[in-house]
Amino acid sequence: MHDHAPQQLMLLLIILLPLAGAVVNGLVGRTLPKSLVTLVGVGSVAVSFALAVASFVQLFGLSHDAEHAALGYHFYEWFSLTLPGGKIAPINIGFMMDSLSGMMTLIVTGIGGLIHLYSIGYMGDDDGYPRFMSYLNLFMASMLILVLASSVPVMFVGWEGVGLCSYLLIGFWYENREYASAGRKAFVANRIGDFGVLIGMFILVGVASSFEFTDINQAAMSGSFRADFPLRIFGVAPSLATVACVFLFLGCTGKSAQIPLYVWLPDAMAGPTPVSALIHAATMVTAGVYLCCRLSPLFITSDVAMSIIAVTGTLTALLAATIAVAQREMKKILAYSTVSQLGFMFAAVGVGFFAAGFFHVFTHAFFKACLFLGAGSVMHAVHAHGDADIFKLGGLGKHLPTTRWTFLASCLAIAGFPLTSGFFSKDEILLGAAAQIYRPDDALMTSVGWFTLIGLTLAAVMTAFYMFRLYFLTFTGSYRSADQSGDHPYDAHPHESPPSMTIPLVVLGVGALIVGFLGLPHVMPITGTHLPSWWGHWLHGSVAGQPVPEELNIVNLASGLAFAAMAIGIGAAWVLYRNKDTDALAERLPARLYQLVFDKWRVDELYDAVVIRPIKKVATVAGAADMTFVDALMTRLPSLNVKEAGRYFTKLQSGVVQMYGAVMVVGVVAVLGWFWTPHSRIDAAFEGNRVELTTPPGLGYEYRWDANSDGDFETPWGKTPSTNFEYASEDVRGVAVFVSNVSSGVERRVRVTEAWMPLPIELVVPADRRSPQELGFEVRMDGQDLAVRKPQPGADPSTAREVRLPIGKPGRLGVVRLETRPLVEATVEVRNAFGNVRKDTLGIALPFPVARAPQAMLIQPAREQAR
Amino acid sequence: MDIGTYLALASVLFGLGAVGFLVRRNMLIQLMSIELMLNSVNVMMLAFNRAYPGNHAGQVFAFFVIAVAAAEAAVGLAILIAYYRIKRTLDTDDATLLRY
Repeated sequence: MHDHAPQQLMLLLIILLPLAGAVVNGLVGRTLPKSLVTLVGVGSVAVSFALAVASFVQLFGLSHDAEHAALGYHFYEWFSLTLPGGKIAPINIGFMMDSLSGMMTLIVTGIGGLIHLYSIGYMGDDDGYPRFMSYLNLFMASMLILVLASSVPVMFVGWEGVGLCSYLLIGFWYENREYASAGRKAFVANRIGDFGVLIGMFILVGVASSFEFTDINQAAMSGSFRADFPLRIFGVAPSLATVACVFLFLGCTGKSAQIPLYVWLPDAMAGPTPVSALIHAATMVTAGVYLCCRLSPLFITSDVAMSIIAVTGTLTALLAATIAVAQREMKKILAYSTVSQLGFMFAAVGVGFFAAGFFHVFTHAFFKACLFLGAGSVMHAVHAHGDADIFKLGGLGKHLPTTRWTFLASCLAIAGFPLTSGFFSKDEILLGAAAQIYRPDDALMTSVGWFTLIGLTLAAVMTAFYMFRLYFLTFTGSYRSADQSGDHPYDAHPHESPPSMTIPLVVLGVGALIVGFLGLPHVMPITGTHLPSWWGHWLHGSVAGQPVPEELNIVNLASGLAFAAMAIGIGAAWVLYRNKDTDALAERLPARLYQLVFDKWRVDELYDAVVIRPIKKVATVAGAADMTFVDALMTRLPSLNVKEAGRYFTKLQSGVVQMYGAVMVVGVVAVLGWFWTPHSRIDAAFEGNRVELTTPPGLGYEYRWDANSDGDFETPWGKTPSTNFEYASEDVRGVAVFVSNVSSGVERRVRVTEAWMPLPIELVVPADRRSPQELGFEVRMDGQDLAVRKPQPGADPSTAREVRLPIGKPGRLGVVRLETRPLVEATVEVRNAFGNVRKDTLGIALPFPVARAPQAMLIQPAREQAR
Repeated sequence: MDIGTYLALASVLFGLGAVGFLVRRNMLIQLMSIELMLNSVNVMMLAFNRAYPGNHAGQVFAFFVIAVAAAEAAVGLAILIAYYRIKRTLDTDDATLLRY
């Protein structure tokens, strides 16, 4: 498959076409006629879809040959990282279409194409139409990069790209402050998740030494991720897989709107309806599920992470479903429904039924896109802007027949009505949860299974209920805005939408009804007949998972619960809302509870109090510190100083040319004066037992050296500013004593003479806090040795006991360590071009002993050293 | 003649030019002082060229200096005339506009 260039090009074109469309519409769209913008925007996606289908057909052909069939395209190496240990991990711009990403590509381009088509009618009158098309195309390109990427970093490029497009499209009507801030909220929530993805990615590459998904999954299957994480958390060391998966899942909670980061998705409905359908229902928000499936061999290694995912998914499904029950606006209800359905998908992933979770992604894309587009069609029909209050609608079935029937089809699908698509996918998820209950010897997974099964069943009841509440209140009964006297009513004469909007509705509605047959259950409930499941078979090569249970009692339990949930939910909605005008549930529930649910359990307010406000307070303090310390003290104060100094120095600029000339003359004289006499400064470097003496060179300087300062110059006048000398014993002029405290190790250099002199010991023992008199040693040079004595106070110093230290050997006096070194003197004479001579002398303490006369070494018994 | 004599002459001329430039307030005189300094340098270079006749760099350079001096005199005098037309004086104490 790697030698068919056209196929690889096709894979690349799937991504590049929408990208090109985005560039064209983004840069010059404003100057193009609307028809051309449409052609570029919709056409690029349509061709992309055609190519995706062609690639998929090819892939389908391959799947008979090999277990892990995939189309690959390696474009070029972006850059590479050197890992600790010297391994090099290249990051390749490469794309891969296997059964998982191929299916996802079809969903993205297919449903994306339909929504582009829908946008022609829905957004055609908007001033920002080219911008909208450009953003949508950019989103398509990013999403396709995310899906088709063969390595984590490239996927992350798409991951960030869809986040950016989401932000841009939520705030599409940026003149409205609320919409713009909804976009910001989505972006920030996603950033929190992205941090998790990054950390997870680092762990992955650290263990697998590769960024490629296939290598990572290979490493996961070979057990590389089972090792313990180097840090202990709450006293236990989780496995590497657990930590990596939890961080990756944090990213998924951001992108796919799960607890705790789901709060952005309902607000994201501020964007145009096609955006809600495409990005915030069908494709982008499922990226988290896709990532889990992509890395399913890794996720399945960690029971802990899987349990966290299952519980989080179930809780999200429940929470969002309860909120959706009480909302009044079409898109709000659908948004919470999306959050809830995403919870279903993650619950499926968490119980190890990746294929079932991804099947729900597939079916959900159809019915939820159809529902959103249907809501958009309703809003279009009644001229509602932003969102539509269902209590001002009603009876629209007569006016919008196409919208009504497709909406009904999708409602049936999401509720799980038998033989619709949602029926099969939801069944499969509940079956996965039920299967966990029967897993032997695994208390954790069994309890997770119970929790998931019960939670998801309750969520399914509410799903059926709130969807049909929405349907009945919108399409049955009488049109409440026909009476124009009410509070801000909608248009009195609703009309069906144009064909560009109804065609996608019909396609998606039909899809919502029938696509479920791709994923028939393995075992039919009640009868126990084995059925061929194309879906499971198709994904088998690329997605791991728990085995699908074949026992009839499990299958019956799951199916029974799913059917009961659907029946109860629809039945309750039928009784309470069919042909009704009021919120019957609000009248039956306690008012305070209803208000709490209507306020979305006040989670936003909770986050505001717990997270946002403390951060704002910290930011206020930091901002004040920045203003006072950095801006005022570090910036304004120095600038003020400079300004004040400048006020005085500007007076020097008198404009009198003679003044400038005179100053210059003074300067020239000063420079000449400096050059009048030569300058020298001796530096000594030690090489073996020779000493390299140097002095800074100067223009026109000549040097002569008297390295031992005996008056005889060893070198004649010469141009080299250095000399090399080996000192002998007769060159030694004295001794340099290095005094150091044993504990502190501070060193001081003292030059000792022939006469007795005190040893300035207080310099080196400050930590002892003793006065200098207590350690009052006296030293002097005696021949080639150092004589040390400690005169008693009041007594004649000459009676004190003397200790002799030979030069070059270290010795100790109490806490003080003494090191003696031979001291020599070097002299240099420097002459410059004016004939002026300068003499410079340096005392050098040699770090090595010099060759000495043997008699000088006579007196050095060790026991005579002090103590 | 000894090179020292030439150098002494050049130094004296340079000193005269420098002092003249610094103490006189008439721009025309200052321009002349500058010419004096330039010519003292010419004398010095010619003297060195004569003492070290290996190449002719000193003589060539003296021609350069003469050419530059001529150009400088032309520009300088033009500025001077323009200045005089505005201010009706050549006193440098009055030419202090170029300051902060």
